[in-house]
Amino acid sequence: MFSLQTTPTPGTALLVVAAFASSLAAILLLYSYLDRTDDLRRVILGAAGVSAGALVAAHSYLTYQFIVGDYTNAYVWRNTADYLPLLYRFTGAYASHEGSILLWATLAAVVATWTVFSGYFEGRGSRLVQSLSLSVVAIFATMLVAQSPFTPIEVAFPDTPSGFVPPDGDGLNPLLVNPWMAIHPPITFSAYSLLIVPFALGVTHFVSLFRGEESVFEAWLPSMVKWLRVSWLLLTAAIVFGGIWAYSVLGWGGFWSWDPVETAVLVPWLALTASLHAINRYEKTGEYAVFAPASAALAFPIVVFATTVVRSGVFRSVHSFASGGIGTGILFLLAVTGSVALALPLAYWLLAADDLDRPANESWLSRRTVYHVTVLAFTVLAFISMWGLAFPVIRNAATGVEVSVSQDHYNLWSYPVVVLTLLAGGLYALLDTGRRRLALGVTGVVAILTAVGAFVAPTPNWYLSDPSALDPLVYRIVGNLSVLSIIPPAAFFAAGWITRYVSRVRGVPSRSFKLRETGIVLIHIGAAVLVVAVSFVYLFSTSASVALIGVDEVGNDPEPIVQDVPNSEYTVEITDYEAVGSPTIEEAARSPSGVLRVDEDVSIVRGEITETNEIEGTAVARLDDSEVWLANADGTASFDVGTEVIARGTVFEVDSGTAAEAVYVYTDGPNMGPLSDPPREVHTPRVTSHELDVTVYEGDETVASGTIAEQEYLRAEMNTNDPVIERSITGDTYIVGSMNGPGASITIDTYPLANHIWFGVVLMLLGMATLTVADGWFRKR
Amino acid sequence: MTPRKLLTIVVLVAVLGFGYYSMNAAPVLSNHEYTYQGGLEWHEDPDEALSVAEQQNKPVLVYYWTTWCTYCQTYDDEHYQDEDVREVLDEYVLLAINLDDPGPGVNLAMDHGANYPPQHVIMTHDRTEVSELGGYVERDRFLQELRRGLDSVAT
Repeated sequence: MFSLQTTPTPGTALLVVAAFASSLAAILLLYSYLDRTDDLRRVILGAAGVSAGALVAAHSYLTYQFIVGDYTNAYVWRNTADYLPLLYRFTGAYASHEGSILLWATLAAVVATWTVFSGYFEGRGSRLVQSLSLSVVAIFATMLVAQSPFTPIEVAFPDTPSGFVPPDGDGLNPLLVNPWMAIHPPITFSAYSLLIVPFALGVTHFVSLFRGEESVFEAWLPSMVKWLRVSWLLLTAAIVFGGIWAYSVLGWGGFWSWDPVETAVLVPWLALTASLHAINRYEKTGEYAVFAPASAALAFPIVVFATTVVRSGVFRSVHSFASGGIGTGILFLLAVTGSVALALPLAYWLLAADDLDRPANESWLSRRTVYHVTVLAFTVLAFISMWGLAFPVIRNAATGVEVSVSQDHYNLWSYPVVVLTLLAGGLYALLDTGRRRLALGVTGVVAILTAVGAFVAPTPNWYLSDPSALDPLVYRIVGNLSVLSIIPPAAFFAAGWITRYVSRVRGVPSRSFKLRETGIVLIHIGAAVLVVAVSFVYLFSTSASVALIGVDEVGNDPEPIVQDVPNSEYTVEITDYEAVGSPTIEEAARSPSGVLRVDEDVSIVRGEITETNEIEGTAVARLDDSEVWLANADGTASFDVGTEVIARGTVFEVDSGTAAEAVYVYTDGPNMGPLSDPPREVHTPRVTSHELDVTVYEGDETVASGTIAEQEYLRAEMNTNDPVIERSITGDTYIVGSMNGPGASITIDTYPLANHIWFGVVLMLLGMATLTVADGWFRKR
Repeated sequence: MTPRKLLTIVVLVAVLGFGYYSMNAAPVLSNHEYTYQGGLEWHEDPDEALSVAEQQNKPVLVYYWTTWCTYCQTYDDEHYQDEDVREVLDEYVLLAINLDDPGPGVNLAMDHGANYPPQHVIMTHDRTEVSELGGYVERDRFLQELRRGLDSVAT
């Protein structure tokens, strides 16, 4: 299977070069490391440069094929079509499995090669770090050679006649035709790629410790923190963009539904958060001597795990459209990186690590211990999510029993941990200001308030869940607590970090220090806002819907359709309906040269009649002075010189024996019309957008108004939606509709505090960006 | 032993306990014979369901679902748990087919053109389709469809 699929094309050749060059560089770097030599540096630089260059060229070439619509490439044919605008032809390159692995490999190669070229990294261990990074690139490149995104169409589909080029592509997955989805994959894969260096560095660190040589971990640490931070920042952004997309396109229940893929990407995010916290202490005090490098190393295998969840098809999810048989390569990468990153630190911890001396009289609630609670909490949260993904698969494989993992699993198990994290985080911040007694007292009071809040539920909505008597005991206990219990710890957490911020920056002249602290406090305030908003949004969301009939006629009727929505205060008014097809027949029609270029049985052609003639009793008309003629199949069409027409018909090539071949398109009256009145009914658009002008009233008040749409794609299973979202400080009113023949169903959802989610996230992103920049300046001083 | 080491060990033990407990406490969706949607017992094999339907002289309600479908969750939580709905469902033989893993239901799913969840089809024991309900509908509408299905089978 490995080499059978490999068919020589220029693109695959580039991938072979990349696989060879990156392997060579990795081996030579390993040799340099083992043999303590720098003699091969020039060869290594060359090989690394060639591997990155070849991958960049391969990705650019694939993108080029997408833009020009080179359907000789099966991957291009599968993931794009002529009707798509340039943006989505560009993004089609990473719409599916092979292309997105190519994007990942390209970014990874650039990152790995940069560490080789940069003079910043010296020392013996650096060679091993670079060797490991390039090995990962080599694995990626080999995977791509085995399953190339450049496989020609006749290889991918052996039934196709030789030399056949499809006239048009199969199209891009409709769910990906969205600007958020255009930038989501590159951001995600950039975040993933940046984790390669921390992985290599963490592994090298433990290798050095075992070999008893000096580790380069300390030397690389400032740079690694930057990699991790930027990766965290990008990963956060990627999750958010995915959430925005799910909210606006999927229309399946908001930004987050604990879909396996959403959960899978949360695991590396939580792990990165834990890792950054541990490394922060490690830098300052040397604590977490094992955990800090180990967690940095583990982040990469965890993102590979996330990719496995998305791609393997083992975990069913809304992302399974991206699944493809490349599973083996990814699983190999997961097994290798995961076992190295787990086994080395674990072995070191068990065999070699000796405890740092600690004061015997250290208090139980010391600052260090409280900090440790939060690091552990992030790890536990990551485990809850990872386990929720893993155990149904494990249990199914072991017993054949299928179990459900509902949102309750994630929500109810995570909730107490989140509350504890907020309390511990707030306590740490206050302890950091040096007023220990005050800190403990305030935390005690807040803990009591939290406990009281857990039992105060003004309405049933406030309960965290609605567990039934059959649910596990933990669900019944946690599910019957009130969400009010999130307010005291979240407020305390935010207040604690603001207090710490004020006490730390007061009287300090260094601007970079202040800016750095500002970044830190913004992240923590953002997190508090986010946690509260996320807790409330689903518990207090409402949904009401109404079915309407006669929607397709509403545009012809002066009276709008007005109907009350059952079980709510809403009234819905529909004033207009329109079905918009894309591409239109004008856009879909080919020019005469287009007809000559492609090979299709039935074409729609557009052109001006420049000559008429008659051949054996059949009237023919020449288009645009070209070799393409229309033929009047049954005499119902009329050809007039000088008119521009659009016609659909069967294509016949007549080999006249001379150089110029004539092509006849056999059309008739119903299949032909002038440009002003083309035969619309003979053309089926790729996508039909059903657009409804809707106004929603609550009592007499207008709560939302606009055009909602549902896009129906030819041959696609899923429809996409354009909702109307009326945003306000208290929350969103969200209107979405689905068409059903002449009827429509309109759903009005409310999501309270929806915008606080975005606000919290923006604060966190801003904080992380500020911290990353300011920390760079601060270190330079 | 420092407080942190002790804490780490305690948390590790707690995490292991959580893992074991949550895995065993998870509600069973399907075993080898039945699948449990919304706390009801559904057949997984169409032939089995159809022969039961013939014996009991009841129509069959086919429910196409997946584990990741949020509307299916709403069906499970709100529709199938409802007293009125359950009363009508007693008059049906229930057949649930997981679209991701249809097993013996694969041909039926193809016949019904079941592409994405949730989807309901009412049919008689000789596979005559009575009605089809794609996507999600409100509980009242759902109930109405179920009753209408019964009526049209009766006549």
